[in-house]
Amino acid sequence: MMKKRRKNILDRGAYAGIATISLFGLLILMLLFSYIIDKGANLLSWDLITGDYYAATYDSYYEGELNQDGYSANREFESDVFYSEKWGIALKDDINFEGKDYVLVVYVSDESPLANLRDKNDEKNYVAISGGQSMVKIIFSNNTVMYSKNGAKAAIELFDNADGIKDMITTTAGSGIRGSLVTTGYLIFFTMIIAMPLGVFTAIYLHEFAPKDKWYINVLRRSVELLTGVPSIIFGLLGAAVFIPLTSTLTKASGGNIISGSLTLAVIVLPVIISSVEESLKVIPDDYRQASFALGANKTQTTFKIILRCSLPGILTATLLSVGRIIGESAALIYAIGTVIKDNIVVTEKSTSLAVFIWSIMAGEVPNFELACAVSLIILIVVLILNMTVKLISYKLTFDRNRG
Amino acid sequence: MEQVFEIDELNLRYKDKQALINIKMDIEAKKITALIGPSGCGKSTLLRCLNRMNDLIDNCFIEGYVRYENNDIYTKNYDVIELRTKVGMVFQKPNPFPMSIFDNVAYGPRCQGIKGKKELQDIVKKALVNAALYDEVKDRLNDNALSLSGGQQQRLCIARTIAMEPEVILMDEPTSALDPIATAKIEELIVGLKDKYTIVIVTHNMQQAARVSDYTAFFLLGRLVEFGTTDQIFGQPKQKETEDYITGRFG
Repeated sequence: MMKKRRKNILDRGAYAGIATISLFGLLILMLLFSYIIDKGANLLSWDLITGDYYAATYDSYYEGELNQDGYSANREFESDVFYSEKWGIALKDDINFEGKDYVLVVYVSDESPLANLRDKNDEKNYVAISGGQSMVKIIFSNNTVMYSKNGAKAAIELFDNADGIKDMITTTAGSGIRGSLVTTGYLIFFTMIIAMPLGVFTAIYLHEFAPKDKWYINVLRRSVELLTGVPSIIFGLLGAAVFIPLTSTLTKASGGNIISGSLTLAVIVLPVIISSVEESLKVIPDDYRQASFALGANKTQTTFKIILRCSLPGILTATLLSVGRIIGESAALIYAIGTVIKDNIVVTEKSTSLAVFIWSIMAGEVPNFELACAVSLIILIVVLILNMTVKLISYKLTFDRNRG
Repeated sequence: MEQVFEIDELNLRYKDKQALINIKMDIEAKKITALIGPSGCGKSTLLRCLNRMNDLIDNCFIEGYVRYENNDIYTKNYDVIELRTKVGMVFQKPNPFPMSIFDNVAYGPRCQGIKGKKELQDIVKKALVNAALYDEVKDRLNDNALSLSGGQQQRLCIARTIAMEPEVILMDEPTSALDPIATAKIEELIVGLKDKYTIVIVTHNMQQAARVSDYTAFFLLGRLVEFGTTDQIFGQPKQKETEDYITGRFG
């Protein structure tokens, strides 16, 4: 009786311990998430995803006529937005990614002359002021000057008193991640093109064709498993030492580029692909192979028509896992493709993937925490979706097998 | 009497276990030959020797002769693929491929390079009709084969084998995973197939052997104990061991 009771207490103690540890893990995860969401969520917008990283500065002027009736806005504004009916422009005070005050253009009427200005430096170019840009400095034709530090309300008052613009300096939003998104897409594409066939056929060779119980096959398999545990920065060194010179010789690239990055990533994801495809080959019932042979199919036909087909879910899982790995990889890429943020992506030049983008903006003199958190949030969401898809596939797979 | 297979002094050894000892028997064309005996007696092993499925097993050593239509199938240059198209096999557990019913039956012909859609349709239909499955599945040939019942799956496997137009069909306990009604259907089918094909069937079920076969071979511990017509084996067994086995004294 005593013994049983003691065992009971022990059980409960163990249970409480496990529960505490799990709760602790959950708490850390929640903290991380809430921190990132808190910092980054209000930056998440379509402009962030499609915008350029580098802000462009425009210098423009307007000396034409203004519409007598002004330009009416076709929408309502919130109370902190100021609207100049005379010019058809709405401004607002805002804080940029670096924490400085600036005057944000909220809206410009389609008929407003501001939507169709001339470039001061090049008469042939047009400059269109639109929402999302910021006002830096304006010299009006009555020689009043607008500075961004004076705020939106003062700027609108100056607009209402002026009949022309001698010189207006504006900048586009900037800090967009389009370039890094494109690079990430390129990396995923090239890496999968290289690693997928190699990985799938290696797995098929190891499991279907390789002689069993031969020491060198086991050495091969162990090496593949070992590769999974190698820190990725070491693969980055490999990329810098082997793939960058290689791609520099073969293409017009000089220094890190997307191809060398993809080759490095291919080495990183290869063991992942090989082991998960081999796992899926292991669960294909031997009955299928026997039935295929008994029907007079040869080894190649059996491999391509039955084995490959049955391992499709495994191949899909491997693909998703690899894509997740590619999106999240940063250390290796710092060497293999560089840390230069770009807006116009060229395959043979340096650029940054999303993860390296975070590194780059945090490594500068003024770390941009909010933007880093926003990009982290995007990465987290994508990886989460990929992981859930993998779970769904493996669940469906087990379900089908149980039914079959 | 025409012999399809002549087996002579066949010895088969797995790594350290002698599975078949000096087997000598002939298999007659267009008849059903049943191989019976307790588990581990070598009857399935012998069956697998007939289309060289034992090739797939590592550490399996074979001596002696198996002649198929007067050619030794264990000579080095013998075309195994060709042999397996002539000698089909149905397995113990229904094992249709995880693809559509049509693709299952068309698999063998496709592997032989038949591509014409019409031709394949004809082959599939004929095979399914011969396997007494066509009426049950004609409206859902594109459904996954795994959605069929166990008995239907096994008949699909038979149809798949028939589609190759073989001369011999080897059956390795084809009904052991099925219920009595599905079993009865398969047995009926097997007897019906006798006119066109030579059938060798391994079975645990002695009543099944008595019901369907023309010849019966009784195996014990890798040895062929007795081989004769089914009537003789079940009516007047010459060997004491055979009598003990078929009367249920062991096994």
